[in-house]
Amino acid sequence: MAPRQEVVHTGFSAYDTFDGQLAREGWLLIGTGDKLCLLGEKIDPIWQRGALPGFTADMGDGPVREVLLGIVSPLRRLMLIGEGDLDCRLLALLDDEHKTRVRCECWTFMTKAGPTITRIALQGVRGYDKAFSRLCARLGGFENALSVEMVAGRLFPGTTGYAAKPAIDIAPDGTAFDTAGDIIRNYIAVARQNEDGVIEDIDSEFLHDYRIALRKIRSVLSLFRNVYAADFTDDLKARFNTLMARSGRLRDLDVYLIQRETYLDLVPRDMQPGLKMLFEEFAAERTIEQRRFAAHLRSDGYRREMRDLIRLFDTPDSSLPKGPKADQPALDYARVMIWKRYRKVCATAAIISDATPDEQIHELRIHCKKLRYLIEFFAPLFAADEIRILIKPLKKLQDTLGDFNDCSVQQEALANILDGLDETYADRKLEIAKSVGALLTMLDQRQKRARGQVTAYFMAFDSPATRDGFERLFRTGGGAS
Amino acid sequence: MKTIACYSNKGGVGKTATSVNLAHSLASAGYRVLLCDLDPQGASGFYLRVKPSRKLKEDRFFRDVKRFTGAIRGSDYDNLDILPANMTFREFDIFLSRMKNSRSRLKKALKAGGGDYDIILLDCPPNISILSENVFRAADLVLVPVIPTTLSERTFEQLLDFFRQRNLKHKKVMGFFSMVQATKKLHGDTMTRMLGAYPKRFLAAAIPFAADIEKMGIHRAPVAEFTGKRGAGKAYDALWRELMEQL
Ligand SMILES: Nc1ncnc2c1ncn2[C@@H]1O[C@H](COP(=O)(O)OP(=O)(O)OP(=O)(O)O)[C@@H](O)[C@H]1O
Ligand SMILES: [Mg+2]
Repeated sequence: MAPRQEVVHTGFSAYDTFDGQLAREGWLLIGTGDKLCLLGEKIDPIWQRGALPGFTADMGDGPVREVLLGIVSPLRRLMLIGEGDLDCRLLALLDDEHKTRVRCECWTFMTKAGPTITRIALQGVRGYDKAFSRLCARLGGFENALSVEMVAGRLFPGTTGYAAKPAIDIAPDGTAFDTAGDIIRNYIAVARQNEDGVIEDIDSEFLHDYRIALRKIRSVLSLFRNVYAADFTDDLKARFNTLMARSGRLRDLDVYLIQRETYLDLVPRDMQPGLKMLFEEFAAERTIEQRRFAAHLRSDGYRREMRDLIRLFDTPDSSLPKGPKADQPALDYARVMIWKRYRKVCATAAIISDATPDEQIHELRIHCKKLRYLIEFFAPLFAADEIRILIKPLKKLQDTLGDFNDCSVQQEALANILDGLDETYADRKLEIAKSVGALLTMLDQRQKRARGQVTAYFMAFDSPATRDGFERLFRTGGGAS
Repeated sequence: MKTIACYSNKGGVGKTATSVNLAHSLASAGYRVLLCDLDPQGASGFYLRVKPSRKLKEDRFFRDVKRFTGAIRGSDYDNLDILPANMTFREFDIFLSRMKNSRSRLKKALKAGGGDYDIILLDCPPNISILSENVFRAADLVLVPVIPTTLSERTFEQLLDFFRQRNLKHKKVMGFFSMVQATKKLHGDTMTRMLGAYPKRFLAAAIPFAADIEKMGIHRAPVAEFTGKRGAGKAYDALWRELMEQL
């Protein structure tokens, strides 16, 4: 091996989303000088001009953005995850005539906290396949260790470890009580991990994940009936409700602002200015709301409450007041709960027709959601591929139900805005009212469409295969897992 | 795909130096080039450090398309591949007739073999008089280095005669002055005379006699690689620009 050029020394900054969407798919995004470079498995580095990537929507056009659009959620910000030094070396494998047989490009990443890692890219030369495969084989031991995911994870330890849905192990001989405690403890941790991102207002997904984590805890408290003593459960529910309520308005505003383009597309062009005004109001309100909530997260009261909750579940076995079902084996408990909920889903869906009132659809949505949570909570007790088969059509059904629900929630919210226009939006009232009216019509149509699809998606869910699956896995007296 | 044969019925006039440097400057300009070293001595291959292929000694070589494309080697330079030397006259003849009779087949074979070339450059060996007719028919252009001396005039005339006798397109013949020494009166006079006699058969670009070109054997690289863009490499750039206009 001989150098082909002088070593080039530069610095680099690495970027990813908080939940490591790039690392998970095997990519490493770095900025060096005034360029962005995307490194992937088995492909040449992709380059584009630009510094801080931020949201993909705001990036300049180029080949890096082109790839990122397919990987990164538009709601997530690509943020700095670390910095270091980078050495680039061009090498050549020469034969005894000093002819190049394999070209080699080595990028050495050096960081303060992580180890020094070198990424080696080999490029064959026509007619020298043997030299190429021999060198590949020689480096084979390295190759696995050098996957981009490993590079990203090891360069900046601890930055790509976040998971919105952490894998929570359930011991097969664990009790329902243990399981509930494990889930709650894990989701309190998820909520906490998102606090800084909410405070710094990096992107709206932090609050979203924060709220989902709290909601999951709440649903454990209501779904795991009789695992904790009744008044203890009630007290905890109230505490988590209070935590959730603090950020309700901020999340609503986030949802509106995320939907901005969709809403604008829904209404005729001449209605758009009124709607834009409304969105400006939303944006302004959101700024205030965000500051207020960030202050709340930093407050002593909030910190104390979180500390107390963590302490409560940190030593799960000791002090918590148990309910009558606490010591049931988790597996038995899971089967009974899931089977019951599944039956409820089927019973509710069975009576749905074009004539049934909307409330019935809402009820189906709630049952589906609870069923989904239960299955996901207890999933580690069952074979992953069997669970996947059940979850897939359930998810589709839930998407339609969710769409239906979103439309109705938003219609209600917009109707409230119409009612309140007098005080807040005095001078622009008429224009805003007109466009909100147009939007309401569109949302109503969309809701009807979603509603019309519910039966079809339920039928897809209610296939012989899913029926068999539910019976086999969850019906007590059925086969073991 | 165009084929240029670097040919002369005279030895040591700079065919190999021209082939290697021209191929290199065309490749640097972005053309995909295959340099075929047809000289059993393997001089082109020597300059590019590519060893002669052992497989080439087999008789069946050029009948077998896969082996032909499999013998091609990537050079150390982008866009430049080389078919190393070492074929017998018989094989060479088969190679040429294949080029002549089924160009599209050869082109297809090269494409399938992973090389879709813009230019195929043939570095011809000296003393191939028996086979030269095949070279002339296969090539789109016959590039002839001419050292401007009295003897060269006769040699060039003989080549054109040959074209007339065999009813070959003499427009294919493109001479250029090689190893020109500006200080020599003989060179200057000969060039003036020959340009007057064959106004359409000579390129304006000429390659000077340069110590750097002689040093290619020491560096074992195209001249532009070790002298940079100034020096002798520039003359070859001018040569290919004019050539590409002709094609
Ligand atoms: N422009 C030049 N200036 C100086 N020396 C040159 C020049 N061109 C070629 N030479 C030298 O002249 C000698 C013959 O050149 P070259 O091998 O290119 O000729 P050739 O026509 O290919 O010879 P052959 O007929 O043996 O194949 C070589 O030593 C080469 O280094
Ligand atoms: Mg030669």
